Amino acid sequence: MRKYLKIIIPIGALFTLVAVLSFPFHRWAREHVNNMTAADDHPLECLSCHLYLKKSKIISKFTDAQYYSPFNLAVSKDGRYLYAVAEEGNTLLVVDTEKGKVKHKIKVGIRPHSVILSRDGKTAFVSNQWSDNVSVIDLERFIITDTLKTGNGPAGLALSADGQYLYVVNSYSSDLSVINLSTGSEQKRLTAGNNPTGVKISPDSSLLYVTSRRTLSAPYGDTIRCELTVVNDKKQRITERKDIKFAYMMENIAFTPSGDLALIPLIRPKNNVPTLQVERGWMMTNGIGIIEQKSQGRIIQLLLDEPNAYYADPFGIAITPDGKKAFISHAGVDCISVIDIEAVRAILAESTDEMLNIYSNHLGISSRFVIKRIPTGANPKGLALSPDGKTLYVAEHLQDRIAVISTDSLCTIGTIDLGGPRRITVYRHGRRLLNNAGHTFQNQYSCYTCHPDVHEDGLVYNMASKDIGRNMTNTQSLRNIGETPPYKWNGKNQSVYKQDGMRFSTVLTRTEAFSYNELDAITAYIMTGIDNPPNLQYNPDGELTEAEKRGKEIFERTHNNHGYEIPVVNRCVTCHPAPYFTNKKMADVGTLAASDDSILFDTPHLNNIFASPPYLHDGRARTLEEIWTLYGKTEQHGSINDLTKIELNELVEYLKSLRDPEYKQNKTKILHASLRHN
Amino acid sequence: MKINRAIIILKTISVGIACLFLFSCGGRSVKSGMMVATEAPGNIKDQDYINGLSWRYLTGARIIAFNPDKPESFKVLTKDFYSACFPEISFDGRFMLFTAQQKADNPWQIWEMELDNLKSRKIRSFSENCTDPAYLPGGRLVFSKLTVNDTVRTANCLFTCNLDGSGLTQITFSPQTNFATSVLKDGRLLTLCRSLMPETGTAMLTVMRPDGTKADLFYEAGKNSILLSKAKETGDGRIVFIETDEGNKQRENVISISYNRPLHTRTDISSGIDGEFYYVMPLNPEKYLVSFRRSDSENFALYVFDPNKKSLGQTIFSDSQYSILDVAEVKVYERPKKLPSEVDMQVKTGLLLCQNINVINPSLPIDPGHLSKAGKIEVLGVDTTYGIVQVEEDGSFSLKVMADTPFRIRTIDEKGNVINGPCSWLWLRPNERRGCVGCHEDPELVPENRVSIAVTKAPVIIPVHITAIKEKIVELE
Repeated sequence: MRKYLKIIIPIGALFTLVAVLSFPFHRWAREHVNNMTAADDHPLECLSCHLYLKKSKIISKFTDAQYYSPFNLAVSKDGRYLYAVAEEGNTLLVVDTEKGKVKHKIKVGIRPHSVILSRDGKTAFVSNQWSDNVSVIDLERFIITDTLKTGNGPAGLALSADGQYLYVVNSYSSDLSVINLSTGSEQKRLTAGNNPTGVKISPDSSLLYVTSRRTLSAPYGDTIRCELTVVNDKKQRITERKDIKFAYMMENIAFTPSGDLALIPLIRPKNNVPTLQVERGWMMTNGIGIIEQKSQGRIIQLLLDEPNAYYADPFGIAITPDGKKAFISHAGVDCISVIDIEAVRAILAESTDEMLNIYSNHLGISSRFVIKRIPTGANPKGLALSPDGKTLYVAEHLQDRIAVISTDSLCTIGTIDLGGPRRITVYRHGRRLLNNAGHTFQNQYSCYTCHPDVHEDGLVYNMASKDIGRNMTNTQSLRNIGETPPYKWNGKNQSVYKQDGMRFSTVLTRTEAFSYNELDAITAYIMTGIDNPPNLQYNPDGELTEAEKRGKEIFERTHNNHGYEIPVVNRCVTCHPAPYFTNKKMADVGTLAASDDSILFDTPHLNNIFASPPYLHDGRARTLEEIWTLYGKTEQHGSINDLTKIELNELVEYLKSLRDPEYKQNKTKILHASLRHN
Repeated sequence: MKINRAIIILKTISVGIACLFLFSCGGRSVKSGMMVATEAPGNIKDQDYINGLSWRYLTGARIIAFNPDKPESFKVLTKDFYSACFPEISFDGRFMLFTAQQKADNPWQIWEMELDNLKSRKIRSFSENCTDPAYLPGGRLVFSKLTVNDTVRTANCLFTCNLDGSGLTQITFSPQTNFATSVLKDGRLLTLCRSLMPETGTAMLTVMRPDGTKADLFYEAGKNSILLSKAKETGDGRIVFIETDEGNKQRENVISISYNRPLHTRTDISSGIDGEFYYVMPLNPEKYLVSFRRSDSENFALYVFDPNKKSLGQTIFSDSQYSILDVAEVKVYERPKKLPSEVDMQVKTGLLLCQNINVINPSLPIDPGHLSKAGKIEVLGVDTTYGIVQVEEDGSFSLKVMADTPFRIRTIDEKGNVINGPCSWLWLRPNERRGCVGCHEDPELVPENRVSIAVTKAPVIIPVHITAIKEKIVELE
């Protein structure tokens, strides 16, 4: 009996201890979860936070998976092969269209964006957005034969009419590289619009149109304008910069075969309108821009939305060889809009400018030219047509799949599985949620709409806080924010859980809130799954330039140019310490406007800050310089008034060089070294 | 002897097993796949579409349940009631809301029946008539209740409450009748509405959030038409209901409109069929059930209807003594979205922003030349004016209006001449914020992306004689 007592007593004591402790522990856990989620009924599942929110390579080996994420497509001349750029797989996938199978996988640079084929179809060019180069691929041997250096963030690609030059749209440096293919070197670089991505040469081979996504810099309240840059192919010069007013996110462009029209998917945001409601298109609308190619041609915009149904995040566009139909992918609502181009021409022909102006804000007009909406898999992006125009291929970005659609029946006739992981990880689920507008009333916008590339859209919104004309809000990036709470400029959200919880649905999405499973997933993705792109423009290898080093000294200085000690509170590094360059506290930097409530603002993190104009909570500073030259005269935002112009420039240069501490520097270096032009 | 005992024991066990089987399997009186329907005795006549008599309040009606494969063996579910109608099945398929009178002189009340055991309970007692209940997500329901007060005069207003009767909330606040509410998949309510003041208005479908915010026109019937039935959402993006001919009120048609664009997609899907329709219930995109009769000498019976071929099929159920007036399928339903609410009852006002009063619907019979003269608005109450407000140069205005108070707006020129309006009745819930593009504007128009002058100024308080309101400030973002 004693023998058993020796076992029973400790076990009993342990049980008693557990029983005694469990109640206060449960209460503590409840309070902790309530505090983190700002809800009182979020399930007490420790793993949803303490496993999936940890940014650890070991954990991610078990919890994450490597997907392909097809982004853009090209089809071979004979229609036999489909080339799919796998954005996450860093691969060009060669798909046999007859067998519906991936035949080759060619490793390219980091975050490939677009692919085009040479005239003879023997070479593919793949732009690597995070490697700042283009991979040249021999399609007979399926190997990389060359790597062409580009500007920062190469995206859209086009060949000159004679096939001698490759035009590369540099999305981060906002310019266009003209690369001589015979030498493999960049011949010139032309300044494009803000954050350009799409490029297409006109059917008569005379002009290239370059679309941009972000608006041109302007004070809040001005009409927003997005640039369409027109380039003369022969002269390789910019001939015109067209303002596309009231629009942004012009991802791609296509010409009708006759060349009379150019069509651009675009978004018409309502950032200057208070966010009073979602109903009746008060937050976002989605449409197409139509550029008439004749002399004095008009720029028209028509909405693709309907009064009770919105088609968020239009992305890709393809026009059939007979010029009768255009297809537009809607990444936010998982569908393709089919446009009757003749019906568009009829609208243009019969309408006065005044009528067309009304149509640009009219939810009924799409019924005249949209003939069908074809459902697809998750997050459709790039489109490509077979040479005969009978088959449309759709890159189902977050489905790891290609949809095959008949352009006659306008039905999906098949899908091609790219061989990615079958399981949907928590992060993938979260990424799908972030990219899908299904959690906004009537699908009007997704998180991605205001946070394209999980960054920010560069717009300032009237969020109608308290009163409708107050507290303008500059959209903030979602990249690498996991370690930088609190969130929102007013710092009211202590966690992403709260940020995306119930109030998010009441104020922003205006439909049913995320379920807790969904909230866990989107939080896990935002907290751990979003990296900044490498800062190849200002800090490609971690080595600072001399000017940046001098700027760093200014950033970290304790004494001013006159030898006086700078109060701790006025030193840059006090509020912006590494590694995220934020102390995660609230501050008054003298930027409170008459239209702001009297509050402090969250100290923003600064990694990749060069990519986030405009600056300050209400976006009043169009550049980093303006933070001090126009809005920092009181020394509340750091002690800088003793600096010379050159010193301020150096400080700004240093700020531009800041980049993610976790960035895989070695990997980038290796890729850069191995992919140099031969 | 032993054998007899054994037989007795065996029999006892058999009976026990049989009882157990019956108890376990036969417990649910109304099973999934069955139909429940309202039957009203004889011919339906003299319906009053304003106060609901003989239309939403039927004499001697009853709710039956039947198996569509064996309709002859139907079961009356509401034997304990003098009259009962308009069954609505819960999202889990286990309960049924309905409206009923226990005795002929009792007011109509909302009841819920558990379909497993057919036990009914009154949701809440009112002294006024209530009708047309519908389930809401989150354990609530919406219904129409006769309301008499200074604000709405006498009208059937919409109310919501919890299924236990608590948390009663009025959500419509204008002199308009509201009947036959259904809940759309997007979470909003679609209600059959008619203005009562200053004169009876056109029948329309009004859409609103379950908290009464963002009430808006969804569909407007022809000027002389009547909307007869609850509008039902199909699985393929259509809304179907019964509407009478403009020229012939005796001709009742099945109308289909698109959810995406309801104001311009009206299709009569029963054209070519002689007879009258009373109700339509979509089973799936290819098959509807309709309540139909070939002439007014017949009772309404239940038929299969093919919306694509626009043709009537077989009779599902008919009764020589009764007309069948609506039907619902007992099954699990997809729950509509549960919409968040911006209403805060501690706030006394709502806010209305108009971008430009000179934006109007070009199809309206208004001389556009006059419109440029409109520089003011007058806000009208039920029997008083709340004041005249100067609009901004760009035609914009913003108003802070006392919540839950009906008002209309008309535009006037500098001399006080009425240019346009008044518009239909509006109300704002406490803390509601609403925007409109213009006055009588095309409802398919979205706002221009510009900062209206009115946005940069404090809103005008309505009634204008109130200069300041002390109230809770709600920070939305």
